[in-house]
Amino acid sequence: MKKQFKFLAFTLLMGLLITSCSNDDDSSGGSTNLGEYDNGYFVLNEGNANPATASVTFVGDDGIVVEDVFRLVNPTAEEIGSYLQDIFFDDTRAFIVSGSANQVTVVNRYSFEYIATINTNFSAPRYGTVENGKAYVTNSAEWNTGTDDFLTIIDLNDYSTSTMIVGDYSEKITSDDDYVYISNGYYGSGNALTILNTNTQELTSIDLGAGNSPNSIIEEDDDLYVLSYNNASNGKIFKINTATNAIENTIDLPASLVDAKNLVIEDDTFYFTVDASVYSASMSSTTISDTALLTYNSTSTYGVMWGFNVEDDKIFISDGGDFDSNSNVYEYSLNGTLLNTITVGVGPNSFHFN
Amino acid sequence: MKKGILFLFGIIFSLSCFSQTRLDSVQQLDEVVLKSDKFLKTFSNTQSITTLKDTLLSRSAPSLTQLLNYNSNIYFKENGLGMVSSPSFRGTTAQQTVVAWNGININSQFNGQTDFNTINIRNFDAVSIRSGGGSVLYGSGAIGGSIHLNNDIAFNQGFENSIYANYGSFNTLDLGVKSGFSSKKFSADVAISRSSSDNDYDYVDSDKTNLNGAFYNQSVSANFGYKVNAKNVIKLYSYLYDGEREFSFIFPSETPTKYQDLNSRNMLEWNGLYGKFISTLKLAYLTEKYKYFPNTNLDNYSYGEAKTLIGKYDLSYTIFKDAMLQGVMDITNTSGEGSSIGKSDRTISSFSLLYKQEIKSFLYEAALRKEITNNYDSPLLYSLGLQYKFGNHYTVNVNGSKNFRIPTYNDLYWAGSGNTNLKPETSNQVEMGHQLDFKHVSFSATVFYNDIKDMIRWLPTGSNWQPVNTDHVKTYGLESTLDLKYHLKKHQFTLGGTYAYTVSKNKATDLQLIYVPKHKATSTLNYQYNRASLYYQTLYVGEVFTLSDNNPKYILDAYFVSNIGLSYALGKEKQFTLGGQIKNIYNENYQSVANRFMPGINYNFYLNFNF
Repeated sequence: MKKQFKFLAFTLLMGLLITSCSNDDDSSGGSTNLGEYDNGYFVLNEGNANPATASVTFVGDDGIVVEDVFRLVNPTAEEIGSYLQDIFFDDTRAFIVSGSANQVTVVNRYSFEYIATINTNFSAPRYGTVENGKAYVTNSAEWNTGTDDFLTIIDLNDYSTSTMIVGDYSEKITSDDDYVYISNGYYGSGNALTILNTNTQELTSIDLGAGNSPNSIIEEDDDLYVLSYNNASNGKIFKINTATNAIENTIDLPASLVDAKNLVIEDDTFYFTVDASVYSASMSSTTISDTALLTYNSTSTYGVMWGFNVEDDKIFISDGGDFDSNSNVYEYSLNGTLLNTITVGVGPNSFHFN
Repeated sequence: MKKGILFLFGIIFSLSCFSQTRLDSVQQLDEVVLKSDKFLKTFSNTQSITTLKDTLLSRSAPSLTQLLNYNSNIYFKENGLGMVSSPSFRGTTAQQTVVAWNGININSQFNGQTDFNTINIRNFDAVSIRSGGGSVLYGSGAIGGSIHLNNDIAFNQGFENSIYANYGSFNTLDLGVKSGFSSKKFSADVAISRSSSDNDYDYVDSDKTNLNGAFYNQSVSANFGYKVNAKNVIKLYSYLYDGEREFSFIFPSETPTKYQDLNSRNMLEWNGLYGKFISTLKLAYLTEKYKYFPNTNLDNYSYGEAKTLIGKYDLSYTIFKDAMLQGVMDITNTSGEGSSIGKSDRTISSFSLLYKQEIKSFLYEAALRKEITNNYDSPLLYSLGLQYKFGNHYTVNVNGSKNFRIPTYNDLYWAGSGNTNLKPETSNQVEMGHQLDFKHVSFSATVFYNDIKDMIRWLPTGSNWQPVNTDHVKTYGLESTLDLKYHLKKHQFTLGGTYAYTVSKNKATDLQLIYVPKHKATSTLNYQYNRASLYYQTLYVGEVFTLSDNNPKYILDAYFVSNIGLSYALGKEKQFTLGGQIKNIYNENYQSVANRFMPGINYNFYLNFNF
């Protein structure tokens, strides 16, 4: 399947096409207002070959929508790049990853004021996380191999960068308590997790078993939860104890749920998606029902469920549309009632709560 | 394939035997210059054809993009100067414009299109633009129109040599050397050209520079003709192109990429003139190879390579004066492979029947073509044209045709994605042209309507991308040209202009397609006094939408670019020409593709020496 992406790279004459979305879940939840863009969420619109279509939309808790926040606040700053891939946060800053421009743009997470552009030591950057005063960003480098995949490590004091080879497909990334967790799955290739001890710089690999290619990774209460896809067998949710790195539990998804993605944990409940449907299961259950919680209506030929998240009793879905025009975000209640439809930018791929 | 070619040979031999008895001296053999692409003359009466040659070629930059952008109604979408360039002819896609080399369709087997920045015009004697459908004559892709790169084979001209050298801003070099000899029976010419540029121009009104945009290309062509006797001529055409381009950045920290092309084209042609019969046998062998380097710093690349063997036989018969019947058979065998394409073979044979008749001021031409292949269902293609001349000054043409574009190698065979159930894209079109010719003025205007179905697009189906027949597009509009000539003693004035109005809509949404301007206009004003020429050239391209919902926020502005040039002829027979050009004299800040900025004011100087 990587080959389709190579074809795209060729036809679009661009290095990249971005899919999937991030579940960067770092809500401050405070009631104080720390800036114009506190108390709401950002939608990352990856855009298309025209960099002007890459943008960030803000949706306030009060329902007010602000388009293209970055250019609104920073009309003369360096551009944020195109094919926007991820936003991740530390306490005060937001980091916007552009896959094609090989850069990360740093802004104030509450005012969105431009701080810096970091553009050294990247090669097709994917997702990022912050741990211990440093940011860690996965890089795909050459698409057709995992052996050159690496981390860019950004010193958040001076934005200097260094790299560390992971050597296996490196996509989603999360972190907690001095450890960084990387899912080594890329469209069906790769079947492991890599754990980085940020104190010793030591890498450890956990094998998920042949064919189990991870697409989501979440750290919750000192356990890791990983959703995998397997084209010859059932999808699975793995529970891994971070103290022992042992797989503690494995839940098989029903065989009818093929190509499950977007695992989110909210209030002791698993949420994930298959095509245009959302499924949920209690974290304590041992089986998963194949009855959908909701199915949304999409006319998109190839951007169905381009972005997904669950936060504060709401389910958020973004539709990729045709990637050639503005598209929509849908907010649902936890029981599947459509609450709001919001027009955002081109190719909305993820939600980031502030 | 082999059987087919043998079959063709069989037919031609039997024909040449039975027609030997007729000894009419056919005028065509006495012609001093032989054209390779005869359809442009014989079966294109009811459609508009513009031919660019001589000074127009020598004043143009070497890329086919620049030549046509400033001298035709065709719109170009160029990813920065010299980068990937896709035409939109009458509002169609790049794959719906054919480029024909000496009559042979040379669009890529992989993506079905020609990148107009990979053709160097210095190797050709003439470049012709044929508007509208032409699949009956030129095969897959001739929906918007076709571009014809032709070499003439001349006899009785003795030695003819020329050297062309041009140097300009951004270390841009353009060289062409041509050497030819012809006697009464024999003709040979060889041309070598090279074009290169650092292409590191500064963006207008910005502190940024075009990074990673350098390119070079070199071509060699050789053409031979031999008149065996009064009835038979053998011709050989050869062409080799080798080019490398970096792909320029939008952001300075992008991963550098580059692209290499290596294409060769060879064709052997045998013309036989046997009284009322004219027979032409062509055997052509084409190769194309590309390499794409996703990271220039590494050696990794992806590639595609295709070899095409074409056998084509056509026989025309002059039934009586002013009526001609022609039959064409061809077999094309292509073998291609690439990083993501397993070795795949396809063979397509086709049969065409063409008829033309002139009755006083009235002319009509009709043609049918049917392909036979097991790769896809091929529709019956046709073309019907009518012409009426109202006296000497006014001509009306009406033409209707059905045309197609077949699925490419990428569409059919891409590993894991290729869709062998694809249908060809088909187009039904009609046009009406008006032509006015007077001593000092000629004017033409053509209105057209084109309905294109089953357009092939790559869409993900589940987690996999696949090409599918989906969009339905209609295009309509107006194409016009104006030429004025006037001279007073040693003062000569000429003005040439084109204007196109194009609507190209997706039928499902009724919205204009992205990157199709409603308006495009060009003009060239030339003033010559004695040995000196001064010319002024303009290009206007209207605004284009870059998003499918025609969102006004993402419109790319219209632009107006002007060039000025001066040349002077030296020597007894004006065999030296010295020239200089200032391009984009008003330093217009423009982009043909969003964020792909084009150069501001820039300069070049050239020398042309014929001996």
